[in-house]
Amino acid sequence: MNKKTKSLLWIAGALFLLIYPRLFGIYYANIVVTFAVYALFASSLNLLLGFTGLLSFGHAMYFGTGAYGTALALTHIPGLPLIPAVLAGLLASLVLALCIAPLVVRVSGNAFAMMHMAFGQLMFVLALKLRDVTGGEDGIGGFDIPPFSIPGVISLDMTDPILFYYFAMTVIIGSLWLLWFFTKTPFGQIMVAVRDNAKRVDYLGYRVPHTKAVVYVIAGCFAGVAGSIYALFQNLVAAYDAYGILTSFVPVMMTMVGGVGQFFGPIYGAAIFGLIDEFTTRFTDRVELVLGLVLVLVIMYAPYGFAGFITKMRLRWAARKAA
Amino acid sequence: MDASVAMYVAQGIHGLAYGMILFLVASGLTLIFGMMGVLNLAHAAFFMLSAYFGYQMLAWTGSFWLALLVAPVLTAVFGILMERFLLKKVHAFGHMGELILTVGVSLIVLDGVKAVWGTESLPLKMPPILEGLVQIGGMQYPIYRLFIIAMALMLLAILSLVLYKTRLGMVVRAAVSDAEMVNALGINVPLVFMCVFGVGTWMAGVAGVAIAPILTVFPGLADQMGMDAFVVVVVGGFGSLGGAFLVSIIGGLISSYGVQFLSQYAAVLMFVFMAVALAIKPMGLFGERE
Amino acid sequence: MKTMKRLLAVTIFLSLMGLLLASAVPAEEMKPKATFDFNKFPDMSDFDPNQPVEPGGDTIKIAIVASFSGPAAAVGEIYYACVAWAAHTINKQGGLMVDGKKKMVQVFKADGQSKPDVTKKVTERMILQENVDFLWGTNGSHLQKVINQVADKYKKISVNAASLSDELQEGQDFSRYSFMTTFSTEQIGRTAAYYYGQVRKKEKKFYILCQDYLFGHSMAEAFKKGIKEYYPEAEIVGEDYHKLFLTDFAPYLTKIKASGAEVVYTGDWIPDAANLLKQARQMGITLPFVDIFMNEPRFLVEVGIEGTKGLVNIGQYGIGNPAFRNEEQIKYHKAWQNARTKWKAPYDTVLYTHPSGNIGAYITSVYWLLSVVERAASTDPDKIIKVWEDDVYQGPSGNVYKMRACDHKQIGLLTVQEYVPPEEQKQSYNIPPYYWFKDCSNAGPVHEVPIEKNLPKADPTLCK
Repeated sequence: MNKKTKSLLWIAGALFLLIYPRLFGIYYANIVVTFAVYALFASSLNLLLGFTGLLSFGHAMYFGTGAYGTALALTHIPGLPLIPAVLAGLLASLVLALCIAPLVVRVSGNAFAMMHMAFGQLMFVLALKLRDVTGGEDGIGGFDIPPFSIPGVISLDMTDPILFYYFAMTVIIGSLWLLWFFTKTPFGQIMVAVRDNAKRVDYLGYRVPHTKAVVYVIAGCFAGVAGSIYALFQNLVAAYDAYGILTSFVPVMMTMVGGVGQFFGPIYGAAIFGLIDEFTTRFTDRVELVLGLVLVLVIMYAPYGFAGFITKMRLRWAARKAA
Repeated sequence: MDASVAMYVAQGIHGLAYGMILFLVASGLTLIFGMMGVLNLAHAAFFMLSAYFGYQMLAWTGSFWLALLVAPVLTAVFGILMERFLLKKVHAFGHMGELILTVGVSLIVLDGVKAVWGTESLPLKMPPILEGLVQIGGMQYPIYRLFIIAMALMLLAILSLVLYKTRLGMVVRAAVSDAEMVNALGINVPLVFMCVFGVGTWMAGVAGVAIAPILTVFPGLADQMGMDAFVVVVVGGFGSLGGAFLVSIIGGLISSYGVQFLSQYAAVLMFVFMAVALAIKPMGLFGERE
Repeated sequence: MKTMKRLLAVTIFLSLMGLLLASAVPAEEMKPKATFDFNKFPDMSDFDPNQPVEPGGDTIKIAIVASFSGPAAAVGEIYYACVAWAAHTINKQGGLMVDGKKKMVQVFKADGQSKPDVTKKVTERMILQENVDFLWGTNGSHLQKVINQVADKYKKISVNAASLSDELQEGQDFSRYSFMTTFSTEQIGRTAAYYYGQVRKKEKKFYILCQDYLFGHSMAEAFKKGIKEYYPEAEIVGEDYHKLFLTDFAPYLTKIKASGAEVVYTGDWIPDAANLLKQARQMGITLPFVDIFMNEPRFLVEVGIEGTKGLVNIGQYGIGNPAFRNEEQIKYHKAWQNARTKWKAPYDTVLYTHPSGNIGAYITSVYWLLSVVERAASTDPDKIIKVWEDDVYQGPSGNVYKMRACDHKQIGLLTVQEYVPPEEQKQSYNIPPYYWFKDCSNAGPVHEVPIEKNLPKADPTLCK
């Protein structure tokens, strides 16, 4: 594919997303927003897992904190505009990441995964326990969603699902683009090098823990943005959705199924999970069975995920063309 | 015994009994990880599966003892099949592959038990001989809980003996530290690993049947127990049997005395303990460096 | 002179009676505007929840939003059997006249998987894709809240038949589109206190053990309020809130034993309720529990007749003894039991023995909804609201329910059932085989707690 067709494809994709809600209506627009939130969440995890080799079983911490940050800000600060509300979520995650980073950057592998599970579960039980702040199982819901407004220019009602779709997609695609940009910077390259050979990076004079810490905080922030959008979208944040162990597992599974270490892997993964969910819940009560089978089959027959599968097909196609 | 002293003693024994059940589940998990480096997220699902097998055996034969004997073995067979035909194949793709696979299997097991046994809570009755209470120093205590403590201690003793005092145990330990070398010595390492996996799931199976008379057998059983066992393994240090044992007891005591003294925060205490322990020793209390 | 005296006595007696009647306000107010019609009750022997008859064409659509997969799938199954039964009753009668057309009732399963986000999604799908008219749910106040919110957003009627928290119909959360057709925490807590303080007058020391979330805390608050109101000389000797799906109740039970409590008040549901009772009896603790969900026959049977004796269960379905007061009620009861002989798994268990208790309450809530639809002759939400507010309905059990207009909460008398061994259950189950369950204790003496003593909480901003 040359550059021209590639950019044409991008423009076509953007146009499609633009007219999508007009074509398919509210319900499918909401499905795309859910998918996009998870795509961003999983992509932020992929920054750790795929690019830095750090597996986290507690990434929900940042997602949940972002969601609670926004929800609490909107509940307690009257008249808070939309963008600062999202920033409140981001800030909450940033603070949490800054607190946890020093504890975890010196470990890797299982210890890293388990420590995250520990902190993640601690956040979960705390969210359940501190009912006065978090609302426990019932969560915080029904807070006012402020309109998207530029004073004197425009004011869009964010409780309208279609308008919210445009807002959410803009923020998420923007964030994904920033993430992508980040992996292409020289710093992003060091990050990959840390994954492949941390010692060598160390010898080259880069400080590994510092590199990890920066990546870690960035991953936390983007998860926070995903959580924040999610809180606005659902108009509800509850302990289970925000901090539950499944919320930590899902992005890991999405990344694996989509293709770990590839930028588009988690996005494919989120799409595949969304599709599975959409179809299974319509036709069967056996949701877990289908999901379980998909996971087993993927790992047995397409261990590099959907992205790996595409690469393989493309290589095969190229080889055939060459022959 | 004074009433309040009796209460504190009783809480202590409750803690031990619950700790022992935790240990039964956690020991299999830590054993498999320690020996094979596999984090088996389907472990709790096997624990639940065994409780269902136990229910079925009891329904068919009417004997709790037969259920306790057969159900864990059946569970172990399932575990071995998974190791043989699924886990081994994905071993090349590292931990991540194993994690995803075991999550997949646990989801399948969860839906499988619902397809076979339905969604209702099923009873698994304890044998009459273990029903009732026993007098300990003027205090009454349920026999069944004492039975659980005794059984877990016995299993721990046998397991440690085999691991540390027999040739078989030596081979297993050697295979862990250098599989290639042991293989070169003419020992069938995959077979050894398969056995370890079988024993690990068998332990979970024993726990599943043993706990069923106290709880009900229902599809959420795995969730109910899985997280606690996982915490034990993590804090004790992956692969450390002794660590799992100690932390199980600490966990049990935290939960019973927590209810007694800090009832409000009982549910949080264990996780606080975990977070503190890991912040100090990231590999767990008895874990080795990677 | 003598006649004068007599006359005076009679006058005083009559006026006293009048006063009594007047103080029991609802007599007139609770006169049913509609009654479950046994005469129209069709032959239901062909009803089978495994093979529901799906009506086609233009239908009245009800979506059950609940867990149909995952660990809590049992809940969805029970709901489905109940709603489908009620729908089948109406369909066999030829449907209802709605908006000028005769329409059948169609039931949809919406699997919320017990998760708020999934619940929101499937509820929206039901409204936007399947065009359902009514949402019917569900266990868990956090999930019901989501359903009510979505219903409010898209202006559809939401029927809450299973979430007991008063808070759902209060303040910010109140929506004119949601109707609570179940008893509430406040009613339950006060009913329990009323029973012990005004009826039984025996035990004085109570221990509260509830689940540590909104519902458990509301249950506890309501009981404490009731104790203050109806039983000031009683003492709460301790209260604890345990996490959901607890494995080991022993530490709590040891504390309860040491506290000297005579009764344990609990709002726990299965599996916690089952494990709590089982472990208590295993530990030799024979204290009675006063409860709402400790009534699932399967584990009651496991605990046995002796262990379940003395339990006190609060219910909303039936009325006082005997349970069956006329031929039609017996016929209705038998129709369920007759149909049920053919049902296969998962509907073939002892849980479905009687169409009463929780099952009866769920079915009644659907009958009530459909009766409102019939009288409104429409599925239009505004017309439904108009008919349903202040409506009074008598269900198959003979119990009468009113929909309080100001906050859409159901009011009605509640029953307190004392569990006794099978041979004493005849006073309640007055038809052969003269017991509810052969292998466990169950309702014997049943006390009615009148409406004015158990009214649910009324949010002063809504109910002036």
